Amino acid sequence: MALNIQNISKKYVMGIEEVHALKDVSLKIDNNEYVAIMGPSGSGKSTMMNILGCLDIPTTGTYHLEDEDVSEMDDDQLADVRNRKIGFVFQTFNLIPRADVFHNVELPLIYGNIVPQKRKVMTDEAIEKVGLTDRAHHKPNELSGGQRQRVAIARALVNNPAIIFADEPTGNLDSVTGREIMGILDGLHRAGNTIILVTHEKEIAEHAHRIIWLRDGLIESDTVTQRAAATMEIVNN
Amino acid sequence: MRKFYSTTAAFRIALEAIRANKSRGILTTLGIVIGIVAVVTTMTAANGLGNRFKESVSALGSDVLYVSRRPWVFSGNFFQFRNRQNLQMREAQKLNTGLKNALAINPTTNTNKNVKYLSKTLEAINIIGTTEKHMVVSSSVPESGRFLTGFDIQSKKRVCVIGSEIKENLFGDIEPINKKMKLGRYTYRVVGVMEEQGSAGFFGGPNFDRQIFVPITSFMSSFGSHNRDFNIAVKAAPGVVLADFEYEVIGEMRKIRKLKPTEEDDFSINQMNQLVGAYNNVMGVIVIIGLVITGISLFVGGIGVMNIMFVSVTERTKEIGVRKAIGAKRKSILTQFLFESSTICLIGGVFGIVLSFGITALINKLVMPATISLPIVFVALLVSVLTGIFSGFIPAFKASKLNPTEALRYE
Ligand SMILES: Nc1ncnc2c1ncn2[C@@H]1O[C@H](COP(=O)(O)OP(=O)(O)OP(=O)(O)O)[C@@H](O)[C@H]1O
Ligand SMILES: [Mg+2]
Repeated sequence: MALNIQNISKKYVMGIEEVHALKDVSLKIDNNEYVAIMGPSGSGKSTMMNILGCLDIPTTGTYHLEDEDVSEMDDDQLADVRNRKIGFVFQTFNLIPRADVFHNVELPLIYGNIVPQKRKVMTDEAIEKVGLTDRAHHKPNELSGGQRQRVAIARALVNNPAIIFADEPTGNLDSVTGREIMGILDGLHRAGNTIILVTHEKEIAEHAHRIIWLRDGLIESDTVTQRAAATMEIVNN
Repeated sequence: MRKFYSTTAAFRIALEAIRANKSRGILTTLGIVIGIVAVVTTMTAANGLGNRFKESVSALGSDVLYVSRRPWVFSGNFFQFRNRQNLQMREAQKLNTGLKNALAINPTTNTNKNVKYLSKTLEAINIIGTTEKHMVVSSSVPESGRFLTGFDIQSKKRVCVIGSEIKENLFGDIEPINKKMKLGRYTYRVVGVMEEQGSAGFFGGPNFDRQIFVPITSFMSSFGSHNRDFNIAVKAAPGVVLADFEYEVIGEMRKIRKLKPTEEDDFSINQMNQLVGAYNNVMGVIVIIGLVITGISLFVGGIGVMNIMFVSVTERTKEIGVRKAIGAKRKSILTQFLFESSTICLIGGVFGIVLSFGITALINKLVMPATISLPIVFVALLVSVLTGIFSGFIPAFKASKLNPTEALRYE
């Protein structure tokens, strides 16, 4: 089991107003699943991502990530869990503009206290996986949008996390480049990673094997995609 | 396992951030630069002056006591000593026979006279009547010619030995030895020129280069012996503890003056250390003033750096969110910004030191010998880093406490 949330809710308080971004959600995701979270704007997708990604803690409910109960952890413990088990890919890439590709990708390893020699090997490997070895010493502003997102993916997978989260990874890219990025994510999934992505686009969601629909802070549906059905058929035959 | 992520990486990250905002960083360091220049030059000047002062008063000799009517250094009113009697020549002679542990005794007396060579006149020059024993009690030596001899004293020769400044100002390029000059109304022949001592005159101390030595006997016949006040320099024999010797000199003087046990001393025992002590007091005040200026400019500089760090933290809220998302702990963020603020201040410190080297070179050329010592450089660097840590702490703390989701949402 990669993760397991039970009766999770998230309440934002703004002055006297309360927003229930998530209301009593339970969900299990297995290792090496490929999950897309969809839903209208304001339905709670990002809130769910943040909780699953250990960036935020739920108001009520429990959350087990692999064998750890993360629902009660403090800031630094969560940071440690994120560093060891989670990789993030954001819609807006969120690279450090001053640092070159190598140093951006290396960053999680620095925070993970990996020794320099080992850092170099792991960083080079991650950059190679996304095909940017020849750009390793370029700054983000010298790269195209697709390349930047590939750097972000390399950064997300550099410390071999259990799960990679991607919040609208193709939202800022044209469709061709978006497909390219999805190709990389598909590859990571085939290589054994668990991938959870948030998207608005049906076409992107079709890359996943499971689609979870949110509406008003609740899971409306949880379905297996055609692609998963196809793979299963291959397996069954 | 190490508790905290690599310092080289932290330093690199700080430099990247500063490089991205070069001109802003440089402007911010101005206050730090001024502060560091203030601290370095104050310390250097204090050292330079101190060395120079000690060098010049060292002619007095550290194992020599000077018996005189008034102390060299005192607090309160000058007139408190008006009832004291002048020291007499015969008291010097009695002291000479009475003291067991003295290596040499040298009575001196002095007056100010205008001195003249050909048509050139110097006003109010200190004329000192002394004996050949001056060479024993003082470390100063003639640079050319000779000093006064016992024969000069005994036979009341009208000869004189002049200080280096007198030679320069009165004779210029002319060789003074054997030239006749006027001390007041009397003609004296120059037999020697003293080596330059370096002036201690800048704190009201004596200027040993601007004086003229004559035999004490000729002095009295030229300038009168009536009502004259003498100073008696007494040098301890080798191996005698100075404190014991001082005790002996005081006892002997009290005997000579026939003081009752209840009566206070009506004379003073002086020594070089008292001048050094007085100097140190004056210098202490100057150093404190320098340090206050340093403190103020570092404080102002520090506030500037703090301000910039607040701006920097706000500008980079999203970056902080990203760093936290990929696993930076509070401490990592805190240290990142502390590294940044201390690196800014360290750069200011280095600029300040470089500038101080320039200023010191100028002082060296125009005022006095001065060198920046390694400990001062070290202290300056330390001070600038500490300023950085102090001024960066609050902004860095604020950054470290940011909530990652909110930081990531920041636009
Ligand atoms: N930090 C916050 N403070 C207050 N309200 C919040 C906060 N974050 C989210 N919300 C509210 O919670 C609800 C769910 O927001 P969330 O960002 O999860 O939606 P979303 O599905 O990601 O929407 P979108 O597709 O527009 O990104 C919204 O009503 C939003 O206004
Ligand atoms: Mg969202």
